[in-house]
Amino acid sequence: MKTMNWLIRRELWEHKGAFFWAPVVVAAAILVMIGGGLLYATFSTGAFQLSVGGDQVLAIEGLPPPMRDRAAAIMATSYLAFASPLLLVLPVVVFFYCLAALYDDRRDRSILFWKSLPMSDEQTVLSKVAVALVVAPLVTVAVGIASSLLLLVIALGAGASKGINLVGPVLSNPAFYLSPLYLLSLLPLYILWALPTVGWLLLVSSWARSKVFLWAVGIPLVTLALMAWFDFLIGRFAGLEIGVRWFGEQVVARILGGLMPGVWFSYVDPELLRPQQNGIDGGRLLGLSYSTLAAPSVWVAAVAGCAMIFGAMRLRRWRDEG
Amino acid sequence: MSPVLSARGLTKRYGKQVAVDGIDFEIPAGRIVGLIGPNGSGKTTTLKAALGLISFDGELSVLGLDPRTQRDELMKDVCFIADVAILPRWLRVKDAVDFVEGVHPRFDRKKAERYIANTKLQPGMKVKQMSKGMIVQLHLALVMAIDARLLVLDEPTLGLDIIYRKQFYQNLLEDYFDEEKTIIITTHQVEEVEHILTDLLFIREGKIALSATMDEIGQRYVEVMVPNEKVAAARALQPIDQRTVFGKSVMLFDAQRAGGLSRVQLEALGEVRNPSVADLFVATMKGSYA
Repeated sequence: MKTMNWLIRRELWEHKGAFFWAPVVVAAAILVMIGGGLLYATFSTGAFQLSVGGDQVLAIEGLPPPMRDRAAAIMATSYLAFASPLLLVLPVVVFFYCLAALYDDRRDRSILFWKSLPMSDEQTVLSKVAVALVVAPLVTVAVGIASSLLLLVIALGAGASKGINLVGPVLSNPAFYLSPLYLLSLLPLYILWALPTVGWLLLVSSWARSKVFLWAVGIPLVTLALMAWFDFLIGRFAGLEIGVRWFGEQVVARILGGLMPGVWFSYVDPELLRPQQNGIDGGRLLGLSYSTLAAPSVWVAAVAGCAMIFGAMRLRRWRDEG
Repeated sequence: MSPVLSARGLTKRYGKQVAVDGIDFEIPAGRIVGLIGPNGSGKTTTLKAALGLISFDGELSVLGLDPRTQRDELMKDVCFIADVAILPRWLRVKDAVDFVEGVHPRFDRKKAERYIANTKLQPGMKVKQMSKGMIVQLHLALVMAIDARLLVLDEPTLGLDIIYRKQFYQNLLEDYFDEEKTIIITTHQVEEVEHILTDLLFIREGKIALSATMDEIGQRYVEVMVPNEKVAAARALQPIDQRTVFGKSVMLFDAQRAGGLSRVQLEALGEVRNPSVADLFVATMKGSYA
């Protein structure tokens, strides 16, 4: 356990920029753009006032109660949506992290240093899996929640300065407290969906002698193209079908796209995902998300992911580094 | 006491090429063994097999363990430097010390810090800011602070200047080595290690060409400075090597060759002395470069 702790720390030393600074910079950009825009709008314009020829014709001080409630509900349930750009950064960062994880130290030969220390290849690979599937998402979620809260404070402050005080209704809405929990409770689901991708990338990372990215992306895509071509020929001359679509959806999409947060929604009936009136219903989304686990293919893919991780361990153990 | 390392029919093939060809040897505890051979002779392959880095055929036992199946167990008591200047570029000196302290139960932090204090390394320095020599210094400081039962050094001082090299071997002997420990060294700079070695293992084309303790070697091999008038008589005794220094012939004799030679016999020919390991190596390896 102690070794695992140090192995994970090692990964964070090496990839501090990708795991910590990348989300922080993106979050800061969101804050500056949206929060700054909000503050600018608040203090530069006398919003809600209409003047004609110097005579004030209309001034809105506050909102009618139903609109006010709805605005508060949307804020309380949906403020975490500000963090969504971060959830696009995460898969990119983790994708390239996994590709490099078992390759870079073979390329610069520092693997010979790590292998001279008493830690097994299983532990090393597992530490990288843990970083990709747990540590990196947690850091992103933490940065996301923090920046969303900050933005919410700015928005509430801006509203209050214009006489629309929503602090009370937002804070008394249970969704305000539940939203971060909903987000966090999606992590186990995310891990299951991301396992095949992480497994595949680590396998290629420990196998390829060079050009990891080309191998990782090229093998599935070229296979898919070849299958499509065969399918075309066979379909034309023999009237058979070889499941290109299945391969694309069940294999290629899962081993390349599993890191995308929310990828499971593509397996949910779109009718159920219709936009809702009062912001995001976190509980409902959580339920829908976990309902995708009823399909056995998720589990088969996750097991395949574990098998590929095991393959990566074996390769790392026996690959001759010259 | 059982040997630290014992090989029986150790073989490693790369495709059709045989890198290590069924060698047998034993290394007891408390020895400093020089594993010496030309490039491509199989010495690095032998070490990698012993460290569980590659698969192999035959039997090999290191500290009583099989490096193929019990590597994780083995690495608690073995440490090695398999290549120089291979620390990752992003690693900081203080992080490296923290990490090794964290994962290695036999790491002595104070010792490592003492070695590092003797260099220009700073705690916040990253490997990418270091010269090649400094990287080697950091690596050696980390490894020397690990109290391993077997230490394997494959060309450990490449890229170091001579002052630090001397210092390193001095530390290795005085500070690190004791009768419980075993050190295996390969190096091209044989002259620098010969005075600290207790055993020699010459390897040539995947086979052991010579395996002996330094004492045995001192008794077995004799170098004689033969004046010109005695050259013919000396040649009759079949020297294994001959060269000329300042007009005098220097001949190397194997006292255990068929028939045997006595020291007295050789002393009659001229000034007698112990050959250097380098000269012995060249004589033994003759033909392998041809």
